[in-house]
Amino acid sequence: MISFQKEKYSEKQIHSMLNPLLSEWFKEKFDSFTEPQKYSIPNIHNKQNTLVSAVTGSGKTLSAFTAVLNELINLSENNQLENKVYAVYISPLRALNNDIKRNLLEPLNEIEKKFELKQKQEIAETKKEINKLKKELKELEKNKKQLKNKEKESIKNKIKEKELVSGKTLSQKQKLKPKKLDIRIGVRTGDTTQSERALMARKVPHILITTPESLAIMLNAPKFRENFRESQWLIIDEIHALANNKRGSHLSISMERLQKLSPKITRIGLSATIAPIKEIARFLVGLEKGKTRNCRIIEAKLEKKLNLKVLSPLPNFIDVTQEQVQEKLYELLDKLIQDHKTTLIFTNTRSATERIVHHLKEKFPKNYSANIDAHHSSLSRTHRLNTEERLKKGELKVVVSSTSLELGIDIGFIDLVVLLGSPKSVARALQRVGRSGHKLHDEIKGRLIVMDRDDLIECSVLLKNAVEHKIDRIQVPKNPLDVLSQQIYGIAIEESQKVEEVYQLIIQAYPFSSLKRSSFYEIIDYLSGKFTSLENRHVYAKIWFDEETGFIGKRGKMARIIYMTNIGTIPDEARVTVKIKEHKIGSIDEGFLERLKRGDVFILGGQSYEFRYAQGMTAQVITAYQRPPTVPSWFSEMLPLSFDLALDIGKFRELIGQKFKLKKPEKEIKNLIRKYVYVEENAVNAIYEYFKEQFLFLEMPSQKKLLIEVFSEGNMRHAIFHSLYGRRVNDALSRAYAFALSKLIHKDVELSITDNGFVLSVNTKLPLDKMLKSVTSSELKKILVFAIEKTEVLNRRFRHCAVRSLMILRSYKGRTKTAGRQQMASRLLISAVRRIDNNFPILNEARREVLEDLMDIENAEKVLQGIESGLIETKIIFSDIPSPFAFNLFLQGRMDVMKMEDKIQFLKRLHEQIQERIKSK
Amino acid sequence: MNKEKKILSNAEIIDLSLFFPKEKILVITDLHLGYEEALIKQGTFLPRFNLKDSINKLKKIFAKTKKLNKIIILGDLKHEFGFISEQEWREVIQMLSFLSENSKEIILLKGNHDNILGPIAKWKNLTLEDFFFLEKQKILFLHGDKILSLKEFQKAKTLIIGHEHPAVTLTEETKKEKFKCFIKGKYKKKDLIVLPSFNTTTEGTDITQKKLLSPFLKQNLGNFEVWITADKTYFFGKIKDFHS
Repeated sequence: MISFQKEKYSEKQIHSMLNPLLSEWFKEKFDSFTEPQKYSIPNIHNKQNTLVSAVTGSGKTLSAFTAVLNELINLSENNQLENKVYAVYISPLRALNNDIKRNLLEPLNEIEKKFELKQKQEIAETKKEINKLKKELKELEKNKKQLKNKEKESIKNKIKEKELVSGKTLSQKQKLKPKKLDIRIGVRTGDTTQSERALMARKVPHILITTPESLAIMLNAPKFRENFRESQWLIIDEIHALANNKRGSHLSISMERLQKLSPKITRIGLSATIAPIKEIARFLVGLEKGKTRNCRIIEAKLEKKLNLKVLSPLPNFIDVTQEQVQEKLYELLDKLIQDHKTTLIFTNTRSATERIVHHLKEKFPKNYSANIDAHHSSLSRTHRLNTEERLKKGELKVVVSSTSLELGIDIGFIDLVVLLGSPKSVARALQRVGRSGHKLHDEIKGRLIVMDRDDLIECSVLLKNAVEHKIDRIQVPKNPLDVLSQQIYGIAIEESQKVEEVYQLIIQAYPFSSLKRSSFYEIIDYLSGKFTSLENRHVYAKIWFDEETGFIGKRGKMARIIYMTNIGTIPDEARVTVKIKEHKIGSIDEGFLERLKRGDVFILGGQSYEFRYAQGMTAQVITAYQRPPTVPSWFSEMLPLSFDLALDIGKFRELIGQKFKLKKPEKEIKNLIRKYVYVEENAVNAIYEYFKEQFLFLEMPSQKKLLIEVFSEGNMRHAIFHSLYGRRVNDALSRAYAFALSKLIHKDVELSITDNGFVLSVNTKLPLDKMLKSVTSSELKKILVFAIEKTEVLNRRFRHCAVRSLMILRSYKGRTKTAGRQQMASRLLISAVRRIDNNFPILNEARREVLEDLMDIENAEKVLQGIESGLIETKIIFSDIPSPFAFNLFLQGRMDVMKMEDKIQFLKRLHEQIQERIKSK
Repeated sequence: MNKEKKILSNAEIIDLSLFFPKEKILVITDLHLGYEEALIKQGTFLPRFNLKDSINKLKKIFAKTKKLNKIIILGDLKHEFGFISEQEWREVIQMLSFLSENSKEIILLKGNHDNILGPIAKWKNLTLEDFFFLEKQKILFLHGDKILSLKEFQKAKTLIIGHEHPAVTLTEETKKEKFKCFIKGKYKKKDLIVLPSFNTTTEGTDITQKKLLSPFLKQNLGNFEVWITADKTYFFGKIKDFHS
C-alpha cells in the first residue's frame, strides 16, 4: 500500500534511535534535522520503503543515509560488519556519484575520529581502573595475613571480570589500541578502472554508489553479484529523472533482480518535486504477488522562500523586430548578472547556450571574459568538469547551461537562476531555479525572461502554478519491449531458469506490471531466434528456449561479453559534422540533415551556411554571407510543453476571453490578470493587449474551445488549429488529422506543429468537416499507426529500439558502431523485419515509443473524447490573414509532411513534370 | 507510352538489368551476395533476403528475355573482401547454377569485392575476367573501380560499368524519395553507362549528394542522363535539368 507519512518525528525521538556518535555528529553539525529528515529517518531506520520528495539542498541525501550510516556504525562497533554490500545507491549521473561519495566521507571521517577518541577514552579509563584494582590487590597482598581468603578472591574476580570484557588478558589490554569503524564506500561506474574493480572485489564497499547501467553489469558478474545477497538498502536518487524514461524501465527490472538476491531490502527513493507522486512511489517499490509493495511517501514542504518573477526585455512586443528584442535581452541579462554574485542561466537548447555566451562577451567585453562559461552535454567531459570546479570555487560570475546542470551535483553558491524562454513544465522550472541558494534556509531566486507574447503568457501561468505548487504530471513508459529483451538476455546469462519464473519476476517491476504473457513470449521467441528458419537460428538466437522443460539459458561463449558491452538504454546521438572542405564548423542533428537539400541555407553558430552535399556523417557546406536561411531552425531538442500546464494556459485564455465577451472594462480585466498571474505591470499590459487583439480580430480559443482558423494564401489553404495542448498531444492530433485529410484529398498534407497548436496546409480543397469526423478517440491509435509508418521519426526510433534489444550491437568484437553506422544498419533491418512480420515485437515497440513516449496519445485521446462528448467545442472560422495567436504557429512550427502518395505515384508525378520540361526545351 | 529515350539503340533496360535483344546478352552488376553475413559479423542481425529477392527478380527478367546466350556480371557478385564466407559460398553456387539454367554462358567480371572467386570460377561454363569486349559493337564491359590500360579501351565506343550503385533522390518541398537508376554520360569522348546494383537490400549511392568512388565518375555529372527504375523505367533527362 502507498501511504503518506503525515507525522513528523521529534528531534529527541530521532536522536534516541541513533548511535551516540552519529547523534553527536549531527548535533555538532546542524542546528536541527531538516523537514524531510524529520519525516524519513525513523521510517528508514525501521526498514520501511520510503519516497522522499523535496527540493534540492533540503538534506535529502542524509534523509536516506542517516539510518544506513547508523546501522553500519552499530554493526562495526559490535564487530559484526561483514565484507559485503549493505546499501546500494543509484543515481542517473556519474558526476553526482563522486559528489555523494564526498558527502558521505565527510561524516564518516568525522565519526571515525570521534570513535577513535571514544575508544581512547574508554581504553584509558579501563587502564585506569585496572591499575586501580591492581593497586588494591597489591595493598591487600601486603596485608595478606590479615586478609580473609574470601575477600582476596573477590578482588581477583573483579580484575578477571574486567579482563574478560574483551576477552583479553591484562597485559594484552595494556597494549590495547583503538580499532577503526572502517565503513567502506565505493563508486562503481563506467569510469571505474580494472584495478579499482579488483580491489572492490576483495574489499567490498559497504555502501556501493553506482549508476543503473553499472548495477545491471554487476548483477551479471558471477562473483560480484554474490556480494549483493542480503543487502539491506537500495537508494534511488533523482528518481524523477528515471521514472519517465527507458533508463528507468531498465532499472525497474534490475531492482527486482536485486530484490531476488536480497528479499528484505528496503527501497528508498529521492525525488525533486514531481507529480503524480504516487506513481513514482509505485515505480520505486514495484509489486509482490500482484500487489504494490508498501511505501511511505514524504512530501516535504518548501522551507525556502520562492522569489520568482517573469521579466520581459521590452515593455511589450508590439512592432518590435527580433533584433530589438535581442539587443534589450543582453542589456537585461547583463544587469541581472551584475546585480548578483553568481548567476546560472538556463536556455532550452545547446546552440542558444553558446549564443548567449558569445554575445555577452561581445557586447560587454569588460564584464565578461574568463568569468563566463557554457555547460551543455555536447561539450567534452573535461570542459564540463572544469566549469563545475570553477563554479564551486566561485571563479565564475555566470554559467550558461541547457539541461546539463539541472540535476543535483553541488555547484556551490548561486544567488540567481535565469530561465531564458519557458522551461515548459513547472517541475522543470522548480528544478532549475532550485539550483540557486543551494544551502538550507535560503531563498530561491529565479527570473523567467520571455521572448515573445506566447512565451509571456506561458511563463506567467507557469509562475502561477509554481507559486501555487501545481506540478504537472509525468508519465511512466509502459512495457517497453526493447528494454525487456535486454534484461531477459541478462537474466538468461545469469543462469538457466524457468521462463515462467522470469515472467513472474518481470511483472513485479511497476513499468511491466501490465505486461501480457503473450508479449513476453513474443520477446522470448525473438531472443530464441524463432523468427528465422531453423537452419539459420544459430546465427540469430541469443538465448535458447526449451519449450518442453520451459527453461531458457544463454547461448554462445560470447553472450556475457556481448551483454556487458552493449548494456544500456540511452541512444547514441547522431550528430553530423559540418565541414567546409576539411575545416570543421560544428555539428547538426542527423534529423536536420535529412531535411536539407542542396543549396539550402541554414544557421549554425550564428553564421549562414549553404548545404552542398552529405557524405556519411559529414555535411559539406560553403559560407552563405548574410543570406537568410531557407530552412527554419529545427527545434529537435526543444522541450515540449507539458499537457497540464497547457490546459492551465487554456483556462487562462477562457477566463479572460469571457470578460472580453461580457465587455468588461479594461481596468477590471487588467485587475483580474494581475491577480490571476503574479506578474508586473508591463506584463499585465502586454497580456491584455495580446488577448484583446485576438478577441477583436477573431475569437478567443481555450481549452474548451478548439478554434480552427482557415485562411488561403495563393493556392495554399491552411487550417490553423488553436489546440493549446502541448506539442506531444499536438503531434498526435495533427498527424491523425493530416492522415485523414490526405486520404480524403489523395494528396500530401504539410503540417507544422507547436505547443500551442498546429497547421495543416494543402493546395487543394479542404474538406474539414469530413476530416474532423473521421478521426475519433477510438480510432486514433489505428490511424496513427498508419500515419507514422513511413516517417523518419519511426525509422530513428526503430534504430534506438533495435540497439536496445540487441538486434544491432553497438559494440561487437572490440569495435564500436557510430550512430551513423547504426542508422544505416537499422534502415536495412526495418525493411527486413517488416517482411518477416509487420508486428515484429521490436518494430511494435518503436511504434509504441513514438505514440506514447514521444507523442502523447493518451491525452490526445482525452481531447478527442472531449470533442465527442461536447465538452470541447470545435469551431471553424475563416480569416483573411492569420490572427494574432496564429502568428507564432506559423512562424515557429516544426514542418513535416504527411506522405499520402506512395513512392511510385510520387515518381510518376515528378516524371510527368520532367517530361513536360524536356518537351518544352 | 514507351516513346521514351532509350539508353542505347541496341539495348533496353529491364528492371535493374541491361538487355541486348539481338545478341541475347543480359548485363547485371553488384549482387553483393553474402551482404547480410557481413553485417551479422559486425553485429547487425539482418535476416537474409538478398539471394531470394535477386532470384525472384531475375525470374521475372528471364520471363521476358527467354533463354540467353550470355549473362555478364559486371563484378561484385559477392560481398566480402578477401575471403569467402560460408553463406557466400552457398549463395554464390546457388546463384550461378540458377543463372546457368538460363544462359549458355556466364561472364563474370572481377569486382573489388571478388578477390577470391578462383575456386568458384572453375564452374564449367564460367569465365572470370577483368573485362569483356564486344568486338563488333565496340562495347567494353568493366567493373569500374579502376581504369585499365587496354588496347580494347582505345577501340571501345561505349563503356558499361557497375561499382557505383547509382541512385537519385527526388525531392519536392520536404518530401524525399530515393530510387535506383541507370546513368549515361561521357568518359574521354566515349559513351559511359553505369548500371545500378542488383542488390535488393540497399538503394545505392545518391549521385547528386555524395562524392563518387569510380574514377570514371570523378567529373561533373550535370550532363549525365538518368533512367530511374521502379515498376518500370522512367527517363529523367539530364541531372542538371531535373535536380535543382
